[in-house]
Amino acid sequence: MRRLLAFTLGGVLLAGIVHIVVVFLVPYFARNDAWAVVRGFAADGKFQLLPASNLPGTALPGLDPEMIEAVCPFSLGEKPLRVRAALPDDFWSIAVFDRRGRNVYSLNDRAAEGSDLDLIVLTPVQMAKLRTDPPASLDTAIVVVLDLGEGFVLLRVFVPGPAHVPAIVSALKAADCAAEL
Amino acid sequence: MRFIVDIFIAIAIAAALGIGSAWYVIDRGAVFGTVTVGAWTAWPASGQPDADPYAVAWLARTGEVPLGAGEGIAFTATADSSGRPLTAACDYTVRGQTPAARLWTLAAYAFGDAGGAPAPDRSSINSRILVRQPDGSFAIALSPEVQPGNWVPLQAGRNFRLVLRLYDTPVTTGSRLTDMVLPEIVRGACR
Repeated sequence: MRRLLAFTLGGVLLAGIVHIVVVFLVPYFARNDAWAVVRGFAADGKFQLLPASNLPGTALPGLDPEMIEAVCPFSLGEKPLRVRAALPDDFWSIAVFDRRGRNVYSLNDRAAEGSDLDLIVLTPVQMAKLRTDPPASLDTAIVVVLDLGEGFVLLRVFVPGPAHVPAIVSALKAADCAAEL
Repeated sequence: MRFIVDIFIAIAIAAALGIGSAWYVIDRGAVFGTVTVGAWTAWPASGQPDADPYAVAWLARTGEVPLGAGEGIAFTATADSSGRPLTAACDYTVRGQTPAARLWTLAAYAFGDAGGAPAPDRSSINSRILVRQPDGSFAIALSPEVQPGNWVPLQAGRNFRLVLRLYDTPVTTGSRLTDMVLPEIVRGACR
């Protein structure tokens, strides 16, 4: 009986380790995480509007119906990311998500001080390289240094009414996430 | 022989308890760093760069793209202010005030399609088109049937959750969240 108790206790302790291991492993085996969904319908360096029809597997869940969203996957491996967009003069926000779906950086139109978005995301190494010969865009744009490999940016634009939809859609289609520095 | 049986029991306990508890916690979401105000719960930690491993596992399982601190904050309710689950078999009134925010939206999502419900399954209203009382307070009717005034249609016969999103608000983190005032969800007539 004592023996059984000892093994049961051992099992419970082992369960704690299993619990931790499972929690840490889940992201590596998830097939429907935001990254996988985004990569499923958007190519690197190009903004893609999220489908209006939220059929399972084609769109991100739990988005605000009062907004129109666009995503752009990117990789900082080759060059820094520069997002340029002329957006409506109402609420919009942009968020940078990493490979694991963490919201690592976000700002809204008020913080961007205007309707024109010019955002540069680069790694510390890229920043250090650019310091020796900084391009002019580094002074004018919002510069964010993030230690990222790949990820995606998500633009959310508020729709004040149905009449605003065409303008928002064309603004998002014209948005550029592969601009040169 | 007895040793093997004992080892087997230990491993079975470890696997069942370890995987089961991990599954439960991740499926439930919102473990650490949640803020509850009345019927509403926010999980600002899920939209932060240093999201904890439970939040990261939940993000991976659901594919949600939470609002970051620079965007705003989302409050979710699955029960009314008396604690009863939200169902489209009843009418509801969401009334009161919201904290300061440049813009806010209220959306109802019907349960059923975890991987993103079809478009008609979600309905919403925003603070711009809202009709208010002279004192700034408001009342929004939630019902499958057409209502006068502020109305958010519900999918008949489905359970749903409500998400109140405050955009560009000064209150996105910390203790200031807990002492904010959010609207109450009052259940009306049921069919």
